[in-house]
Amino acid sequence: MSKILVIDDEPIIRTSCERCLKPEGYEIKTTATGAEGLEFLKNEPFDLVLLDLMMPDMDGMEVLQMIKKTYPSIKVIMITGYSTVDTAVDTLRMGAFNYLQKPFNPDTLLNAVKDAVDPVESN
Amino acid sequence: MKNIFRNPNKSVAAKLIIAIGLLMIVVSFVFWYAILHKQNKDIMFIAVDYGETFIDFAKKSTFSSMSSNDREETRKVIENLSIPEGVHSLRIFDHSGTVRYSSSKERAAESVARGSQACKSCHTDPANSSELSPTPKKWSVYKDEEGNTTLKIVDRIPNELACFTASCHAHPKDQEILGFIEADLSLSLLDKTLFKQSLALTAYVAMFVLVVSICLIVILYKVVSKPVNSLVTGMGKVAGGDLEHTVEVTSSDEIGVLAKSFNAMIRDLKNAREERELWTHTLEDEVAKKTEEIQNTHASLVQTEKLASLGRMAAGVAHEINNPLTGVITFAHLLQKKVPKDGPESEDINVIIEQAERCSKIIKNLLTFARATPSEKGNVSITEVLNRTIFMLQNQAKFRHVKFDLTCKDEQYIVSGDASQFQQIFLNLFINAADAMDGRGKITIYAREISETDNSYVELEFADEGNGIKEEDMSKLFEPFYTTKPIGKGTGLGLSVSHGIVKHLGGHITVKSTVGKGTSFFVRLPMEKTNL
Ligand SMILES: Nc1ncnc2c1ncn2[C@@H]1O[C@H](COP(=O)(O)OP(=O)(O)O)[C@@H](O)[C@H]1O
Ligand SMILES: [Mg+2]
Repeated sequence: MSKILVIDDEPIIRTSCERCLKPEGYEIKTTATGAEGLEFLKNEPFDLVLLDLMMPDMDGMEVLQMIKKTYPSIKVIMITGYSTVDTAVDTLRMGAFNYLQKPFNPDTLLNAVKDAVDPVESN
Repeated sequence: MKNIFRNPNKSVAAKLIIAIGLLMIVVSFVFWYAILHKQNKDIMFIAVDYGETFIDFAKKSTFSSMSSNDREETRKVIENLSIPEGVHSLRIFDHSGTVRYSSSKERAAESVARGSQACKSCHTDPANSSELSPTPKKWSVYKDEEGNTTLKIVDRIPNELACFTASCHAHPKDQEILGFIEADLSLSLLDKTLFKQSLALTAYVAMFVLVVSICLIVILYKVVSKPVNSLVTGMGKVAGGDLEHTVEVTSSDEIGVLAKSFNAMIRDLKNAREERELWTHTLEDEVAKKTEEIQNTHASLVQTEKLASLGRMAAGVAHEINNPLTGVITFAHLLQKKVPKDGPESEDINVIIEQAERCSKIIKNLLTFARATPSEKGNVSITEVLNRTIFMLQNQAKFRHVKFDLTCKDEQYIVSGDASQFQQIFLNLFINAADAMDGRGKITIYAREISETDNSYVELEFADEGNGIKEEDMSKLFEPFYTTKPIGKGTGLGLSVSHGIVKHLGGHITVKSTVGKGTSFFVRLPMEKTNL
């Protein structure tokens, strides 16, 4: 079963992700800070990271860079508050697999996650 | 002319006239006196000459009767000689003063007193001594009892051969002087002539002085006083600030030159003043322009600052709202899975989801509009963007009855900026126009090139036939959130954001509107210099 790490400073986003994905059979871990997220990644393997672009302690871009550097195989989906084509292109260029724009609904989230972790299955 | 003499201290002409007049009077008087004196002397000389001739004649006439001692004959001759009018009396007396012959019988008995005028001819002081005068003078002039000027001539009758050898033996040989002959001749006729002549001369001199003085006054008035006066009044006027005044130049003398240079000076002064006024004006204009520029800059700074903070605020708000919105949407979906599919609860939850999604859309719009700084700058063909925007809108329901007239279809205007932002600006202007026209009417777009202080601009005019904008609303148009449209339809951000973008590119937006007739928005953008 795929293991997903959610890094977002906003509790409602963390619970939303948890509530949407858990019933679908994913193992979810959540954290509020980028630093703790990286700590988690050090201790156990994850298949996918849902990463907020704007957090108080660390810029989402920075965290993305570090994840991609240390664990290139882990896929990252960025969650952005407001997106422009520019930031979207930037995150994708940095190695993000996809990006989600808030507010998203459960179906969009599920589709994006499925796309990332079980590409065959979704096909 | 009167004012020359009103205060002679203050008039050059009066001083000159008085000085020259006085000089003339003095000189004339001297001449007058000299001429009269000379004439008097000349006439006296002639009179004396005549008197001497008369005495001589008398001596010669009486000689023969005297030498023959014919007393009767002598007396007759003397009487005859005194007949002419001018001869007062003719007497012969001896050295002792005894009158021997006299023309008038009354005076025949008189003796000539020592010290009388007759004796003074030879003696200095005949009354007291017999001393002889070193300058004997035969004649003298005196006034007789009637006041007539009379010439008295006394001549000696010397002893000569015929006398002391005469048969009468009246005179011894050694007697030097036998007696004296004395004639009193009236000069009243001469006096009269002299008086007449001096009167005439005085009259001439007086006339001369008068005429010369009048001529002098007139000439001085014309040549000095009048031009000097006009100069003085001219200076007074100029000093009072009237630079239109010019002094009339009538002569080419020093005063004329003075007037000319005075006029030149006034001209220069006037030019200088005009120049100064012009300067002041341009300076005022310049200051006003600069002040306006500063105010505009300030206003646009405030506007930009407003927009920037608005953008930050909108972004922050959007970010914050998006999170709870995500929660609302997610949990609404979760809830929906738990309720019966076609039940009323499901319906209600759908409303929650729909409304939440609508919120998300509003926020998205707000964010797009709030972003005023261009993301990408490049050379954009304005005509192309206009064409694309119009093409896009023509198929929309809202613009079904709106006609577009793009008058600059075939012209190229290249502007530096972001094409999508230009599209956003034009889109908003078109939507505003369509709203103002209630979806029915014509939108005309003009483009013109404008050169201003080395820069060239393209000015786009968007003219609609809508209801127009009231004067008092004009100032609020570009304020963020100013809208007259119903809630949900207008955000009041379109013009504010457009203004911000255009300002950022170095252009500006202005409006002209007539209520009930329509509105024109003018978008001015700096043009890229293209090599033609
Ligand atoms: N062409 C126009 N004719 C009349 N009024 C206009 C026009 N354009 C704009 N306005 C007025 O300016 C207001 C602000 O416009 P805008 O900033 O675009 O915001 P919005 O369109 O969301 O109201 C509009 O609500 C309207 O009252
Ligand atoms: Mg608008």
